[in-house]
Amino acid sequence: ESISKQATEIWISKIQVNKPAVLRRAEQIQARRPVKKEWQAAWLLKAVTCIDLTTLSGDDTASNIQRLCYKAKYPIREDLLKALNMHDKGITTAAVCVYPARVCDAVRALKAAGCDIPVASVATGFPAAQTHLKTRLEEIRLAVEDGATEIDVVINRTLVLTGQWKALYDEIRQFRKACGEAHLKTILATGELGSLTNVYKASMIAMMAGSDFIKTSTGKETVNATFPVAIVMLRAIRDFFWKTGNKVGFKPAGGIRSAKDSLVWLSLIKEELGDEWMKPELFRIGASTLLADIERQIYHHVTGRYAAYHDLPMS
Amino acid sequence: MAATRTASRACEIFTTLEYGPAPESHACALAWLDTQDRHLGHYVNGQWLKPEHRSSVPCQDPITGENLASCLQAQSEDVAAAVEAARASLENWSTQPGAIRAQHLTRLAKVIQKHQRLLWTLESLVTGRAVREVRDRDVPLAQQLLQYHAVQAHTQEEALAGWEPMGVGSLDSSVLNYLLPPGCTVVVLVPPASPTPLLLAQLAGELGPFPGILNVISGPASLGPVLAAQPGVQKVAFCGAIEEGRALRRTLAGWVPELGLALGAESLLLLTEVADVDSAVEGIVDAAWSDRSPGGLRLLIQEAVWDETMRRLQERMGRLRCGHGLDGAVDMGARGAAARDLAQRYVSEAQSQGAQVFQAGSEPSDSPFFPPTLVSDLPPASPCTQAEVPWPLVVASPFRTAKEALAVANGTPRGGSASVWSERLGQALELAYGLQVGTVWINAHGLRDPAVPMGGCKESGSSWHGGQDVSNHLPAWGEGGFWAGAALTHPHPSSSCSPAPPYGLFVGGRFQAPGARSSRPIRDSQGSLQGYVAEGGAKDIRGAVEAAHQAAPGWMSQSPAARAALLWALAAALQRREPNLVSRLERHGVELKVAKAEVELSVKRLRAWGARVQAQGCALQVAELRGPVLRLREPLGVLAIVCPDEWPLLAFVSLLAPALAHGNTVVLVPSGACPIPALEVCQPVDMLTMPLCLSPHQGSQFVEWASAGNLKPVWVNRGCPRAWDQEAEGAGPELGRRAARTKALWLPMGD
Repeated sequence: ESISKQATEIWISKIQVNKPAVLRRAEQIQARRPVKKEWQAAWLLKAVTCIDLTTLSGDDTASNIQRLCYKAKYPIREDLLKALNMHDKGITTAAVCVYPARVCDAVRALKAAGCDIPVASVATGFPAAQTHLKTRLEEIRLAVEDGATEIDVVINRTLVLTGQWKALYDEIRQFRKACGEAHLKTILATGELGSLTNVYKASMIAMMAGSDFIKTSTGKETVNATFPVAIVMLRAIRDFFWKTGNKVGFKPAGGIRSAKDSLVWLSLIKEELGDEWMKPELFRIGASTLLADIERQIYHHVTGRYAAYHDLPMS
Repeated sequence: MAATRTASRACEIFTTLEYGPAPESHACALAWLDTQDRHLGHYVNGQWLKPEHRSSVPCQDPITGENLASCLQAQSEDVAAAVEAARASLENWSTQPGAIRAQHLTRLAKVIQKHQRLLWTLESLVTGRAVREVRDRDVPLAQQLLQYHAVQAHTQEEALAGWEPMGVGSLDSSVLNYLLPPGCTVVVLVPPASPTPLLLAQLAGELGPFPGILNVISGPASLGPVLAAQPGVQKVAFCGAIEEGRALRRTLAGWVPELGLALGAESLLLLTEVADVDSAVEGIVDAAWSDRSPGGLRLLIQEAVWDETMRRLQERMGRLRCGHGLDGAVDMGARGAAARDLAQRYVSEAQSQGAQVFQAGSEPSDSPFFPPTLVSDLPPASPCTQAEVPWPLVVASPFRTAKEALAVANGTPRGGSASVWSERLGQALELAYGLQVGTVWINAHGLRDPAVPMGGCKESGSSWHGGQDVSNHLPAWGEGGFWAGAALTHPHPSSSCSPAPPYGLFVGGRFQAPGARSSRPIRDSQGSLQGYVAEGGAKDIRGAVEAAHQAAPGWMSQSPAARAALLWALAAALQRREPNLVSRLERHGVELKVAKAEVELSVKRLRAWGARVQAQGCALQVAELRGPVLRLREPLGVLAIVCPDEWPLLAFVSLLAPALAHGNTVVLVPSGACPIPALEVCQPVDMLTMPLCLSPHQGSQFVEWASAGNLKPVWVNRGCPRAWDQEAEGAGPELGRRAARTKALWLPMGD
């Protein structure tokens, strides 16, 4: 509340991001921290607990939402977890992420499954945010009313590309208010921001306006969660923490499909922010098919064989 | 049971989220050592040489101390055998057409590719370096270098037509890539207990048709001079410590082989207030704590971002991982007791001089590892600041302005590589141009590519290799270089008079009387007196060098067009004085026809160099880098040139013109026997930048010996006259190459 316009300017005005150097770092991080054997299994399970299991399709209906919710509750086959002695650790995905109109279905299905996995809803004219502010705010309120406890809002790219940082700050403040108790995850749609410097500035503004998470992308842009963008956002999170003492979470989304990728994401978090960020409260992965690959890898770790697709339950 | 254990570990790791070991198997390296019964000798002429009655040293894993193999130490007979093998294969190898050599080198590159796992595990095992650097950088680079120079061997056939291939002795394996393509053969002397070059030689030897082109012997550095003294060795390249290089320079003074030095390992990083600090911190990690560079890093940080940088740097250091080199998730391995002790000594000394030392994690004193270390607040005048920063230390000091940064950065005798971190293009370029180093990266550190020449200046040595200049095997020279003709002929006594030649020392654009106020008679070929010239002394030389230094910045900043104009004006003046000069030469005993030709050729030379001034440097495009690499040609500064006695006018002009064309200022001693034509040239042109004075001749050997003091590169004729009237020797590219130094400037782009 207390952050004034002046602060908005000061915190983002002097920032420098060097793209070639960030690209090199992104390349290095993928080759520098291999995680093998038991470590891999444990890390993959950690990745599972950080997944926002997502379906954002035009053809979503109550039935596939229900399947998704059950998969969220039982992400890994019970016997595999038992073999790892992890069956009683309450391993579920972090949340289920759907369109606003499907929130009711998800809430109902999860209630039926008897678990308290939060339902996340995208909002504010997802994915383009090219609707009136009034309807965007109304969208948030309705989703919260329907029982969503996490709201993934998209920012207005127009404001970023035209340098209206104060206006962006004000808009996200309004999103924040509309969310009430619900967590606010702010999607920066980094594929459409033009430069890494803009990514840093937008991250900082989103955090200053009170976001609980900043998220890379909607999954609908041509470029989604990439490591260079993530590095810039994580550095912004660290800077914000050093300035204010507030820990803001990070959520990459879009294009994360392989178990190996999820390990790199975890090690990236560990390297840039530290262990305290490697938990669902501060790290999420927005994904739909990733879970299937992780389950396959765990199957391989436990049995020494690769699973056929019919060996593992679908979502 | 095993399943339960696994399970409990997984459960535990799930909470701690620690990294596990990611060991790379070294079975293949051990298997290769077993093929030699864990007993390594030398690899000469395509086969192993394991002479009896030699002492051997153990090759140990620097981390576990486990004995891996024993390595024989070479003695002079072994060195002689290796050089003999190289000489024997020289004839065959050098007479092959470039295409055949290219083919062979390509095959060698392929062999490296096929055996890369063996190469990287062996190298990481015995050196203790992080396997990831060896695997992802060194081995691919070695392969690319061979590939690149194979292409050079193919394409530069014509350019190298006039070159005598050199039988070669080298003290480090990394140089061999530049020598084989133009048809040289190589003897490499590696420090004891370094099996990787031996493996490489074996792989090359097994290729077949040219077994003797690469010979590797292992032995102490004291064998260097022995190797260099072998008949047939034409060039010695040395990579290593500065003091060793200095000693070698002294020992080899006046000997036949060319000596190329690539010394020291310290690098420099310059961080301005308009930099992306987080990325710069990664640059520091790349430079000092990722097992990439053999040495430490000097870090200059602008005061405005000092605190911020320190905080980020220390935070980052906490995340670095030390461990067994063969672990794929480790940033830094160990490098043996000697390196650790050196680092420890430096740290203790710095602390005693009041420095702050920050180490991420502490290692017990008996541990083979040394933690990443950041030294700050080291007073600039303390002895530690003067010494070379050892691995794995970073010594940070603040600066206030870009101008001060340049002064501090250039204020060390080292001139290897540096990086500049700034988002302001103008500032970054100004710093990059101003740094006296061989390589500058902008907003990056430690990039390499076979197409970009590598080298240094000042005490980092003057050996350049790589890139298009295959002929770079000849050392270029650094600031205050010295060209000397050493043939010393005494004037014959006799007497007679003639029109008075110009008298005095030409310093700072005008003639002045010598300090000693004494003169020397110059006589013609019949022994009759031609006139007197001023006899310069040490004091005059000092004055001349001072004047040259004063003129240097002005001349250096002249546009190429202005430099060309001056050379052309000089040519015109020479032409006007042709009759006079011809008669002077004639009186010196030169035939009329020859004298006329000499003057004409001198005029032509001046014009030619004037025209060539424009062709400076170029931009290179390299793989894996978006953006250009600029290959700059920078003036060396003040050159001292002592002209030989042959072709008194032509040699003088041929030496002077390239030096001036490249923006150097010159202190020039004309031919001792016949200095008058040179003085005639000076007279008509008002040239502030060409001080000239006379001094006694110096011998080649003395010049080379003396250069060891500050490792100024020198170029001497060793008493052998050059054919100055021939285009290749009198105006060839070699002169241009020696008149300027190269700088590679990396400019990554992207926003």
